[in-house]
Amino acid sequence: MTSLIQKALRIRELPIFLFLVVVALVTGFANPAFFTVAGLQDVLLGVSIVAVLAIAQTLVIVMKHIDLSVGSTIGFTAYVMGAAGSWGHSVWWGLAVSLGIGIAVGAINGFLVAYMKLPSLVVTLATLYLVKGIFNEIAGGDTITGDRVPEAVNAIGANYFFGVPYIYIIVFVLMLVVGFIMKRMRAARDLYAIGSNLSASELAGIPVARRVFLAFVATGAITGLAGVLLLARYNTADANSGVGIELYAIAACVIGGVAIAGGIGTVYGAMIGAVLLQTITSALGALGIPQFWQLAVNGTLLIAAISLDRYLSSRVKPTSIMGSHE
Amino acid sequence: MQKKFTRIAVVTAIVGALFATSVVAPASAATGIKTGLRIAVIPKQVNSGYFEAWNKGAQKACKELKAKCDFIGGTKATGAVQVQFINKAIQKKYDAIIVAAADQNAIVPSLKKAQKAGIIVITSDADVAAASASARTVTIAPSEASRIGTAEVDWAAEAAGKKGTVAILSAAATAANQNVWIAAMGPYLTSKYPNMKWVGGSLDKAIFYGDDDTTKSTAQFNAILSQYPDVAAIIAPTTVGVLAAAAEKKKKNLSVKVTGLGLPSEMAPYLKDGTVEKVGLWNPIDLGYVAIYAAGHAKAKTFTGKTGSSFKAGTKTYKVTAGGIAYLGDPFTFTKSNIATFEKVY
Amino acid sequence: MRKFNFAWEHGVAVFLVVAIALGSGLSEFFATTDNLSFIIQDVAEIAIIALAMTYLIIAGEIDLSVASTLNLASAAVGFSFRNGMPFEMAIVVGLLVGLACGLLNGYLVTVVGLPSLAVTIGTLALFRGFAWVLLGNEPVNELPENWIVLGYENIPNTFLPWSTIPVVILALLAWVILHYTRIGRWTYAIGINAEAAKFSGIPVARMKLALFGVTGLMSGVAGVVYTLRFASASPDGAVGYELDVIAAVLFGGVAIAGGLGTLWGVLAAVLSLGVIRSAMQLLDFTGNALLIVSGALLLISVVLPRAIELVKDRRKSVTV
Repeated sequence: MTSLIQKALRIRELPIFLFLVVVALVTGFANPAFFTVAGLQDVLLGVSIVAVLAIAQTLVIVMKHIDLSVGSTIGFTAYVMGAAGSWGHSVWWGLAVSLGIGIAVGAINGFLVAYMKLPSLVVTLATLYLVKGIFNEIAGGDTITGDRVPEAVNAIGANYFFGVPYIYIIVFVLMLVVGFIMKRMRAARDLYAIGSNLSASELAGIPVARRVFLAFVATGAITGLAGVLLLARYNTADANSGVGIELYAIAACVIGGVAIAGGIGTVYGAMIGAVLLQTITSALGALGIPQFWQLAVNGTLLIAAISLDRYLSSRVKPTSIMGSHE
Repeated sequence: MQKKFTRIAVVTAIVGALFATSVVAPASAATGIKTGLRIAVIPKQVNSGYFEAWNKGAQKACKELKAKCDFIGGTKATGAVQVQFINKAIQKKYDAIIVAAADQNAIVPSLKKAQKAGIIVITSDADVAAASASARTVTIAPSEASRIGTAEVDWAAEAAGKKGTVAILSAAATAANQNVWIAAMGPYLTSKYPNMKWVGGSLDKAIFYGDDDTTKSTAQFNAILSQYPDVAAIIAPTTVGVLAAAAEKKKKNLSVKVTGLGLPSEMAPYLKDGTVEKVGLWNPIDLGYVAIYAAGHAKAKTFTGKTGSSFKAGTKTYKVTAGGIAYLGDPFTFTKSNIATFEKVY
Repeated sequence: MRKFNFAWEHGVAVFLVVAIALGSGLSEFFATTDNLSFIIQDVAEIAIIALAMTYLIIAGEIDLSVASTLNLASAAVGFSFRNGMPFEMAIVVGLLVGLACGLLNGYLVTVVGLPSLAVTIGTLALFRGFAWVLLGNEPVNELPENWIVLGYENIPNTFLPWSTIPVVILALLAWVILHYTRIGRWTYAIGINAEAAKFSGIPVARMKLALFGVTGLMSGVAGVVYTLRFASASPDGAVGYELDVIAAVLFGGVAIAGGLGTLWGVLAAVLSLGVIRSAMQLLDFTGNALLIVSGALLLISVVLPRAIELVKDRRKSVTV
């Protein structure tokens, strides 16, 4: 019995999960509306976009890289999904093009980082600007409104399955799939090795460049498809969609135990991090904290979460929520 | 034969030139504005449907005045970015600048610099701070600020059956226009509709800032409902906010009434399906159109911008009121019955 | 004939010259003293922060909160003045606020041990949040006239804006310290290998703390310059500046991995970006085009040296 508890205590994601529970409880006491079905659905809806981007970002961060271009990509594909109808195409066309854009951006990032061995911070910062510029040119001042959103996308955004928003279910399933792949598939486990010790990985025969490239492509693909979710969530898209969201995705990862230093962390942690971020945002509203204090409180909680995670995880040997793997 | 042809050509040319100048001169005489003016039209930011409509109006006026108008601006609606474009206009020696202030304070020094260089400065849609009114000749404002605020309260009260609580989903906390409108809303609600109150008991508590950002506006809409689940109506005096509120209301099938300032092209689906009963807006096309004429007249020195002076734009005359403001008129109200006319216009 | 080692910085210098030439050639408005004055004003704040950021990145760290620090310092200046403090004192307050922000970052990184990228995302929100707390929704716009003049006027009888003075002085200081003093050498050493640096007696933690502090202080200086230039202090100013600073530093040849880079490369890069932006605007490029060009330039700045390296390697293996 005690060994089970001991094992549980060593789970890397535990401290942040507890922090989340505490924040949720405090909010719930202060405002019972938070714990209603509507309140919780709110959190899940709000979390979905950041969560899907955080899941994608995990693939890249564990390799000790980063992808800043996701904000521009998701905004672009959200717009494309909405504009497809007006351009005379079907929703499937829109989906295919969104996926294509995501893969293209991911491939560019991946090629430059993996094969030309360029620093990912610089490369993805550049693609952030490039994609946004191209996106803006295409979108101009056009705003996608509810009636231009394809019926299928609208259905995803508006419906619930036993009370859980479809959008969130999709993201949750994605998390399970990616999490499983990252634990079981040899090729995916290599990503951790690359992040922990690059030269050792090369010496061990891991095809580093190929792994890094494919990881960026995967991130891009997920981001591209996530545009559908963005459109489904807000029923609107324009040239400003997705701006700045990459920082939230990265913050969610970091809070969730996906270390910037690489080699550690899981998509489950990223999800918890995203939920925590969203809970804090909802909490600020629900607790009635004066508007002008909210950003400061948000920043403080962020730093507290990162510090707490660092403090607690430095005292235990890190294992992931699904058992030890590194 | 050659000589005769040449003579005909010369005569034709002279007659043509006389004709051309006589066509040009009347335009000049009618408005008093000379042709060939170069005007810089600077929005808060490009990539905005609202400002593209604003520019449409400006370009229409420029065509009538045979002026050359350049629509220039940055992709971010900040003062720092806008200053770059104002500086560019100064360097390129434009005759006039029409600007929708992205920041009511930050652009003042550069506008003053422009004026010193002999450039006419007109603000349209968004003005500089009242204390710096001297940095522009006149501002073209949609309607009297209090009218915009009180109109929105009327729409909200009407939709909610004149009872219940009301909240406001605004733009940025520093947005000057919104703040003025909200200030007018405060006392009006409590005095005209005794059965209605602001949520939280006071106007201050009822304002939520969506920063003209869809994600944030949606989050704040949900925050309002989370803190005040019985709110009867939400007023969003910003096109981004009202669109986000309407979309979220429809998605979650809520009963709270939503109204505010909305672009007819964006709000049409929500008016048609009953999510929103009424929204209103002035026509940004007019804001751009009138501003160009003000600039033209000011350049021709037939308009000073002083309180009480007036100028003509198209067929209407506009008078300058205290503070150097020229108003367009009451906002339009859009409902299910009239939206079809407007949704293609702007 | 001694082989001329072609460094990235030389490329940037060449780029700057070419950009100026193109700009002057293509637009009659470019090569004017007015334009030079505008360009300097435009890049002054970014240049000042970039000086400190160069040290920080060379030492292997990063600070994403600089724009928020700039803004908080600006807000502090406005807040103090609005509440009756003499403007000179308000400026000092602004600088101290900047320093404090930097030291907080430094503390969280060196003492608590948090990664700088993550922590400064948090302080980015925190510092901006404080600016909101200070000013609420009322920007300060009544600042003393004699000070505002320094913000956007030129030094009498020259075409140089007043803001040139702090930029030049700080740039000279930064250059000398980085390339000619022990502190500079330590900075590089820490960036190349922090462990080895520690073992050779360099006080790594204290150095990093100091570097963060100086970065904050420089952001504070930039905040004062910003306040004067826009004659106002607002809670939502300078949004996104941090990316401009980092892009300039990276374009200037400073390696994100640390241990490499020169100050004059960064200065050339800051100027280049200002020149390019000015030229493009005068040539009527749209805002979107500017974005694309910025991205492309940034990419080229890293792809080109690498491509040259790869070609050199291939050539080496062929000749052997």
